[in-house]
Amino acid sequence: MALASTQTVSKYIPTHWYDGWKRLRKQKTAIVGLSIILFFIVAGLLAPLLAPGHWDGQNLAVRLQPPSAQHWFGTDDLGRDLLTRVLYGARISLWVGFFAVAGSIVLGSILGLSAGYFGKWIDTLISRIFDIMLAFPSILLAIAIVTILGPSLVNALIAIAIINIPTYGRLIRSKVLSIKEEEYIAAAKVIGMGHTRIILRHILPNSVAPIIVQGTLGIATAVLEAAALGFLGLGAQPPQPEWGKMIADSRQYITTAYWTVLFPGLAIMLTVLGFNMFGDGLRDALDPKMKQ
Amino acid sequence: MKKIVSPILGVLLAVSLMLTGCGSQSATSPSAPQAEKTLIEGRGGDSVSLDPANVTDGESLRVTENIFDTLVAYKPNNTEIIPSLATEWKASPDGKEWTFTLQDGVKFHDGTDFNADAVVFNFQRWMDKSNPYHTGGDFDYFQSMFGGFKGDKGCVIADVKALDKTHVQFSLTVPQAPFLANVAMTAFAIASPDAIKKYGDKFGQNPVGTGPFVFKEWKPNDSITVVKNKNFWQKGLPKLDKLIFRVIPDNTARLTALQSGELDLMDGLNPSDAATVKGNSKLQLVTRPSMNVGYLSFNTTKPPFDNVKVRQALSMAVNKKGLVDAFYNGMALPAKNALPPSVWGYNDAVKDYEYNLDAAKKLLAEAGYPNGFETDFWAMPVARQYMPQPQKIAESIQADFAKIGVKTKIVSMEWATYLKKTKNGEHPMALLGWTGDNGDPDNFLYVLLDKDNANPPAASNISLYKNDKVHELLFKAQITPDIQVRTDLYKQAQLLIHDDAPMVPLVHSTPLLASASYVKGFIAHPTGTERFTEVSIEK
Repeated sequence: MALASTQTVSKYIPTHWYDGWKRLRKQKTAIVGLSIILFFIVAGLLAPLLAPGHWDGQNLAVRLQPPSAQHWFGTDDLGRDLLTRVLYGARISLWVGFFAVAGSIVLGSILGLSAGYFGKWIDTLISRIFDIMLAFPSILLAIAIVTILGPSLVNALIAIAIINIPTYGRLIRSKVLSIKEEEYIAAAKVIGMGHTRIILRHILPNSVAPIIVQGTLGIATAVLEAAALGFLGLGAQPPQPEWGKMIADSRQYITTAYWTVLFPGLAIMLTVLGFNMFGDGLRDALDPKMKQ
Repeated sequence: MKKIVSPILGVLLAVSLMLTGCGSQSATSPSAPQAEKTLIEGRGGDSVSLDPANVTDGESLRVTENIFDTLVAYKPNNTEIIPSLATEWKASPDGKEWTFTLQDGVKFHDGTDFNADAVVFNFQRWMDKSNPYHTGGDFDYFQSMFGGFKGDKGCVIADVKALDKTHVQFSLTVPQAPFLANVAMTAFAIASPDAIKKYGDKFGQNPVGTGPFVFKEWKPNDSITVVKNKNFWQKGLPKLDKLIFRVIPDNTARLTALQSGELDLMDGLNPSDAATVKGNSKLQLVTRPSMNVGYLSFNTTKPPFDNVKVRQALSMAVNKKGLVDAFYNGMALPAKNALPPSVWGYNDAVKDYEYNLDAAKKLLAEAGYPNGFETDFWAMPVARQYMPQPQKIAESIQADFAKIGVKTKIVSMEWATYLKKTKNGEHPMALLGWTGDNGDPDNFLYVLLDKDNANPPAASNISLYKNDKVHELLFKAQITPDIQVRTDLYKQAQLLIHDDAPMVPLVHSTPLLASASYVKGFIAHPTGTERFTEVSIEK
């Protein structure tokens, strides 16, 4: 059944991707997760149209107003509309999440592929570096990096990208180690194919599935890490509407004006939940053992 | 969410562990005949040093006030002068010679005698840069209150002599009007000469004075413990057996600790929490009489702030009324002078720059910045009495500045570094403030705005504002005994300062404290440092 439809799509799309999508569609949690992600992406993209005000529109006269028809999420301690800030915050969090993970994947893949494919001292060197990086609690390492680079959103992104390199590097290295022993790789070597071509055309495409799953889950972690850095004052700088920073700025009002903490907190929670649900579903869908 | 909450939980956990740890310690302390009367005060930051002559920050002086005595002191609730180590004092008719009669029989905590020689030893240590014990810091207060060190052109004190065991004579180069008020400052406390010789530049960690409490222990960034001085010269006092100053940086966390009984008294209550304290029958609200100013300083040596029109334009873009309502809950007055209205010499005729963004933008264009400019905006990392939420205030001012095209980046750093770098004039624009030490206008205007104090790396005038006319007025006021003439001089100076706008005076706050209702006899002093001699716990 699956065979017939696969052939009609395109021979350039590996069949297991299409199979994966079909299996993914059947998983309710993954679809819910994807919907949440899409919701936040749309919210972020359309923020200028959806938001009732400007994200830095300060008005001390209406500070700490509870949610109302005018301010759906209430206002913060500088009288800024929280709905507006949460919407614009989606841009920041997703931007940091995607690009931090993309950065880790690119660097992690280069290092992981080299370590796994060439082995010997290259493998030893790269793997030990990964071990050393993993020996630090990741947030501590991020704090150290940001302290060196200076606190800003871009530096927080760089720090998050760096601390996650070993995760992807190790994953891809282990995958490469097993693929390298496959007969088609031996065949490619025998016909005289170069290392670069073998790595890029044969090994990389075949080791990318677990990276995609890990990357999706990794975005959730990156969003949290960005929020944590923002909370510590090391990420986004005022007046940027970063969710973690918003919580940090409002935590003293938690007993008197709960909404200042609740809505950014909910936004972080939902985004992370969305990526986790989608990531889990993706893992199940792309797992070859689940193939029918 | 988990990771966001965990830092808070972590801090709370750490604090509670700390508190429970110390609680059990005092409970098991040996051989206490009755329950030991211990008072724990929570505060926002740790002391820098406990050598009073070498510090300028309130967190250090708050502690040394209880370990040391000064020659003369202030009344518990205002800055009127009362006798302390000196019982009497007399000035010569020309105001250049002061003779103090000292108490007899007072002893330092280390058992050595307090006498005229000890007073001379301390003054020599502070004023003479070549003195072998002129160590442990920069003696900032001596420099800013007495016009420099021995040999400097402006130095007011020419000589200090011991006439006999109980009489000390000061010879001044000019009749300094606020001399007596200056001598009463917590910073000019008499320390044990033996201890200074013994500890050298480590005296700040081993303070020995004659005060009501004896230094016992300092755990950095955690607590300082002082215990009752059984031989204190005021018989029967102090009433407490032990006094602990504990650091809890966050204002809200400190209130939580007070509510749960881990503290007996706290400094730095958020104005927005005043209602919570009033509504709790186990707590009482304490207000400190206002004698401070919180300000935004422009570094007048750095472009574009060297342009007076830029400074005036920015002065028009600060919504002081809004700041007072939002961050002080009304417990502050919008400021138009560096001098607070509670101090004599205040010039009410100064007309403040009106909050008007259009006019500000126009003036900025006249100054040559029609599109504004970009700059760093330094803000304090810690809550101060004159500014409970400096980061928020910075963010609020930042938004208004952005509206006239001035894009700012809020910069913050560790507190000691912040003080050091602002004194060195490294900031373009910085928030800071000042709490008066002696109730004299000189202590505000000369310290914060005279060119004598605009010299990095120890500038207390962090705007590095130098105006010769202002200097002339302030100096004349310093050496004129007649208070009417002085008032007039200070009023003139304030007008000139207003026009030059080296800083934006933001607010004069009424700092709030809170204590458990069983704490009796505590009076918050306008200078921000108070004695616990008469304080008791009556459970």
